[in-house]
Amino acid sequence: MYTFLKKDILVLFRDRTELAVLLAMPFILIAILGFALSGLLSGNSEVLSMDVAIVQEDNEQLGLEQFAEELNGSGIPAEARSRIMAAAQETSPSSILQGILTDESLRELVTAQEMDTAAAAEALEEEEVVAILTIPENFTLNALQKMLMDTGGGAELELMIADHAATQSEVFTDILEEFVWSLNFESAIAQAANGEAPAPEETSVQFGGVESVSAVQPISSFQYYTIGMAVMFALFVGATISGIAFVEKQQFVLNRILLSDQHPFVYLGAKAISAATVTFLQFCILFFFSSLLFGAFDLTNWSFWPGMLLIGFTLAICVGALAAFLTALTMRFNNDSITTVFAGGVVTIFAFLGGSFTPTEGMPDSIQKLGGWTPNGASLNAFLIWLQNLEIVLLWEPLSRVLLLTIVLLILSLLIFPRKGEA
Amino acid sequence: MLETEELKKVFKGKTAVEGASLYLDKGESVGLLGPNGAGKSTTISMISTLLKPTSGDVRLNGKSIIKNPSEMRRILGVVPQEIALYGELTAYENLKFFGRIYGLSGKALEGAIQRSLELVGLAERQKEIVKTYSGGMKRRINIAAAMMHEPEIIIMDEPTVGIDPQSRSHILEMVRQLNHEKGLTVLYTSHYMEEVERLCDRVYIMDHGKIIASGTKEELKSILSSEETVWIELDRPYPAFFKDLQSFKVIKQAVETEKGIKLILPKGSRILGEVFQASERHQVEIINVNVQKPSLEDVFLHLTGRKLRD
Repeated sequence: MYTFLKKDILVLFRDRTELAVLLAMPFILIAILGFALSGLLSGNSEVLSMDVAIVQEDNEQLGLEQFAEELNGSGIPAEARSRIMAAAQETSPSSILQGILTDESLRELVTAQEMDTAAAAEALEEEEVVAILTIPENFTLNALQKMLMDTGGGAELELMIADHAATQSEVFTDILEEFVWSLNFESAIAQAANGEAPAPEETSVQFGGVESVSAVQPISSFQYYTIGMAVMFALFVGATISGIAFVEKQQFVLNRILLSDQHPFVYLGAKAISAATVTFLQFCILFFFSSLLFGAFDLTNWSFWPGMLLIGFTLAICVGALAAFLTALTMRFNNDSITTVFAGGVVTIFAFLGGSFTPTEGMPDSIQKLGGWTPNGASLNAFLIWLQNLEIVLLWEPLSRVLLLTIVLLILSLLIFPRKGEA
Repeated sequence: MLETEELKKVFKGKTAVEGASLYLDKGESVGLLGPNGAGKSTTISMISTLLKPTSGDVRLNGKSIIKNPSEMRRILGVVPQEIALYGELTAYENLKFFGRIYGLSGKALEGAIQRSLELVGLAERQKEIVKTYSGGMKRRINIAAAMMHEPEIIIMDEPTVGIDPQSRSHILEMVRQLNHEKGLTVLYTSHYMEEVERLCDRVYIMDHGKIIASGTKEELKSILSSEETVWIELDRPYPAFFKDLQSFKVIKQAVETEKGIKLILPKGSRILGEVFQASERHQVEIINVNVQKPSLEDVFLHLTGRKLRD
């Protein structure tokens, strides 16, 4: 295998045209798209940053006192009362909401200003704020009653959003929905635990995953397109290796290899390994130089690179299987137009579906689903999850898709590739 | 040593080879002649285990190689008509790759590379990229690659196509040496009759997928022992004159080339007078007329009705 691998890499690296396609072209596209679309995908949150007005009609301290009075008159045993009161002070919804809106991770995204009702309405009118969040009178009392004693009708927040900033408004709504969900979740736990509130650490974890778009860990346009182009041009490696295989057949080199009594599957396996190795090298080169030239990634962040390389390695294996599949088809039909069509058309379609040119989030669900099942699209999702510093467990879904595609392609390759005497 | 028995190959209903039976004794040099499309390459592919015959058998030392080709592959070297090399690699890298896939390594591999390069006279230029070589040099490395594992039998399919006379002469001398001095068994196909006449002990002639004649050069020439060849040299082709000659009943075969016309006719035929009369009728300038004994090429023409390079 090593002999074949060394030979394939030598042949590829001496072909300047192929090298230009596999290495130079992605850099050119990263530069063009990175600069041209930096506004759209900017990770500094300028586009998504928003000012919101907070109208505070609730008096938290008074609410807590009223809740304590009500609790004392409820006939609940003293020990339970003190536990509930402690929970009320720890999970006071008004404090938690304030905490979220001034949280470190949201500071760049949301600027909350406390205003009175009239000033807030004017600010919304003047498009100075994208939303007005009103915390109504007795919010604390009503919320605690519902959360900890399961009495009353609960509390409601009032949100007024602007028409002029749909995306920002949507993001802010998401933040509040996450807050409400977390609060309800906690109150359910608190009630189940008979008034014992969850530990503060858990609370902050709940609020840590507030937004998933670009608020958690912003992605710059150069980061996005480095990954987007890397996963797209990885597919070209599959076509290139398959193209080399066809030339080997045309020039009777394959016959020479078979005459040395090598099993045809050894040859096919060697093609897969060559493609996987070249793809992985391509990733390393693209990531390294994109970091160096465009500052896409921090080269000294040692905890960041293992994840990137793992995802790259998984896609590289899939590209190896893809190269084997294309080689098998080319050999079976003795025609390299399959490879030509793949490189000339299918890769572009896959790149579009997979989000290499533009994020698929705004596209129809069907396209997003299809894209998620392309090797490049699934890998791109995995890279984004890793870049956004989301939970590692989320990587499993896209990576398992890539592995599944790998297995399917390998099985098909073995079934299609001509056996002895047929090649 | 090697024999084929009634080999047949059918591709999509079309018979490419039918009933091809031939044999090669150890150390023998055998020519396989035939025009394009005669079935030579298909026969060679079946003998070299690259193609399974539709029917028939190939035996090496009495054992069939159809189901167990490994033994044959171990002792067989094939020089294809195409330059089966990696143009982007150097000659050295090419030979190293082909040596490795035959299981050679270390000193044995290095020794085989240098020996093969010496054989084809390219040791000095082994570090150059193959695609920068001349056609003749590529052909020589093509042969070197087939010699890496020291085969006992070598099949050469038109190894001198499209190269300069110097490289051609070098290759022919090399093949002669391998056969005479190292005892290599050679199966040689060529469009150049003089190559086969120079190198081969015996010849098989194929046409339309069948072996139509075989034997030593002398045996084949005796097919035309009762004929003679008349070569009429002309300054240019004269189609009407040629057509007129073809109508002579005594002429068995007539072939027109750019330089003249070749006629095969029974020994002692008195035809020259009529030929000159026809030349006057067509205002043809005859430069020279030569009556020869039939060559192997004439035998080929007689048997197939075609020139070898048709």
